[in-house]
Amino acid sequence: MDTAIALHGSEGARWEQLATRARVRRRATTGLLYGFLVLGSLPIVIPYLWLFTVALSGRAGASTVVLWRSLAVLLPALLIWSMLRVGIDEERRLRRCEVVLLSATLIALAFLIGPYLHTGNWRFLWNANIADQLKGSAGVGGTYPSVWAAFGNSLFLAGTQMALVVIISTLAGYYLSRFDFRGRGGYLKGLLVLHAFPAMTLIIPIFLLLHWIGLLDTLTGVILVIVALELPFAVFVMKGFFDAVPWDIEMSAMTDGASRRQAFFMVVLPQVKVGMLAVAVFAFLRGWEEYVFVRTLLFQKSNWTMSLYLFWMSEDMMGTDYAMVSAIGVFYVLPSIVLYAVCQKYLTQMSVGGIKG
Amino acid sequence: MRFPSSNRRIWLDRVLFLGPATLLLVLFFVVPVVVDIGIAFTDMGRDLRVTGFTTENVQRMFGGDRRLTSVMLTTLIYVSCTLVIFNVGYGLLLALLTTALPDRSGSFFRAIWFLPRMSPSVVYALLWSWVVAPTDYGLLNQVLLAIGLPLADLKSNFPMVLVVLANGFIGASFGMIIFTSAIRAIPQHLFYAAQVDGAGPLAIIRHITLPAIRWQLSFVTIYQALALLVSFEYIWLITNGGPFFDTTVYALYVYRRAFDNGQYAYGAALSLGLVLVGTILALALWRFFDMRALLQRPRIEVG
Repeated sequence: MDTAIALHGSEGARWEQLATRARVRRRATTGLLYGFLVLGSLPIVIPYLWLFTVALSGRAGASTVVLWRSLAVLLPALLIWSMLRVGIDEERRLRRCEVVLLSATLIALAFLIGPYLHTGNWRFLWNANIADQLKGSAGVGGTYPSVWAAFGNSLFLAGTQMALVVIISTLAGYYLSRFDFRGRGGYLKGLLVLHAFPAMTLIIPIFLLLHWIGLLDTLTGVILVIVALELPFAVFVMKGFFDAVPWDIEMSAMTDGASRRQAFFMVVLPQVKVGMLAVAVFAFLRGWEEYVFVRTLLFQKSNWTMSLYLFWMSEDMMGTDYAMVSAIGVFYVLPSIVLYAVCQKYLTQMSVGGIKG
Repeated sequence: MRFPSSNRRIWLDRVLFLGPATLLLVLFFVVPVVVDIGIAFTDMGRDLRVTGFTTENVQRMFGGDRRLTSVMLTTLIYVSCTLVIFNVGYGLLLALLTTALPDRSGSFFRAIWFLPRMSPSVVYALLWSWVVAPTDYGLLNQVLLAIGLPLADLKSNFPMVLVVLANGFIGASFGMIIFTSAIRAIPQHLFYAAQVDGAGPLAIIRHITLPAIRWQLSFVTIYQALALLVSFEYIWLITNGGPFFDTTVYALYVYRRAFDNGQYAYGAALSLGLVLVGTILALALWRFFDMRALLQRPRIEVG
């Protein structure tokens, strides 16, 4: 009897001990993972943080005070946050701690770097000939366009290109998904090759082609080229979405007397809205970020897009006012990041032809 | 039996739906390939005029151009280092580590690594040139100063390291995304079973995770090898192929021959090599797509 109880007791203690040890080990492993990931992400986080801090606070001459100060706040905050996530299992308490941590971080930031902030670096937004003033009127190659001209060009290029890609790929995707015709298999296979084929290798003949058609140095030419390069991917995405729409929907519309085209516009199209949105976001971002083709196919300053504006500003102004260049960089990069963040949900839904698993 | 009018409708539909896409694809994919082959055998120079046909360019490719050999070697080093260390290696590491964390924290770190891909190339390149700026204002040098090491000038002394790092930081995210969704798709009970059998984390990765994602591993390897081979955007922006020709990879060499030196014909001949490799690798990628699902017959064919 005695021994049995003793045995029972020691058994219990051992289980307890094992459980504790396992918990400690699990937490140590997770902590290690967080540590590695935080450290490994620093080379990416710091330069971006730098860009933002310089844009908001930089003055003549380079200075990294604000960067190090904000890092001194953010890094411990990040570490405490990971520790909280490792250490606290209860959801409500964790949320409460996170809110406290966030407000403490913001207060510390306001206190430490608040006095340094100023808006002077953003004067390129309201001063249209800032570049010429900085370079002196005898600048090389004539006047710089205002940032809004470049912004407008980028918006026009990305927007038009997006609209064209969405319309054309929706039409083609629907036809390839629903209609059988001779050569359909070949068409799809060809499209798949084009999808993987690196279009960048064709930049010389594309340049010559636009030269011969007379579209060199026009936004129209660049738009057409980028639309064509986007198409194989977009068509596959759209075909995938159409494939997922059950054909009964269409069939019942047609038995109710709708024509083929009516059924397409009124019944099927609303079903693939998500796909069209995903393609649209993707195409817009591609157009907004484009550099190599606009650099090669556009020459006039009045045709500059944001990428060219930023590039030449950074080439010419770096020595003079690099805080302003970083403000331009933030101005250019923010729309991209915001769009990615907002539309992430749609972008992850795309798949092309289903990669085998 | 077909009525002429319905036959015409079918054709009209085809032109309406498939026409615009086909036109653009032919105009900017098929025609350029043909043009490229044609131009490669001419003497087109800076004035963009063709005065005669010649095989000089091809001969120059295979022996006349001494720089080309070193360019190819540079390309080989650049592609293989970036691919192995970052696009596949680091991408896999990130996927493994972030999937081991709770969901929200995992996607937080993945979002950070996605930042370079989200930013336009010009901004990203600008950041790198500030980071490695050779003065003591450069971010890297500030860190080196702080820990008491001498200043470094990556851009002049180790340009290849710089180029590999800059491209690798972007490249890692592609593999990371693909591998993450592949690891997520592995049935959870396999991991539990292995843990019950006493397998440690490394053994689990070696015997369960890696075999389960081998398709994705080879897909990412081929796809990214192709991408690295043909893209020169970041190198062009960060080092412009220099100093001298130290970081001029093949694709950049093609571009500079054509657009900087005005040797359009020679550039076209050189890019034939890339077109060829591109086509071969694109065909190799076919294996990874589910052809049966792709080519499945459409289910209604009502005109």
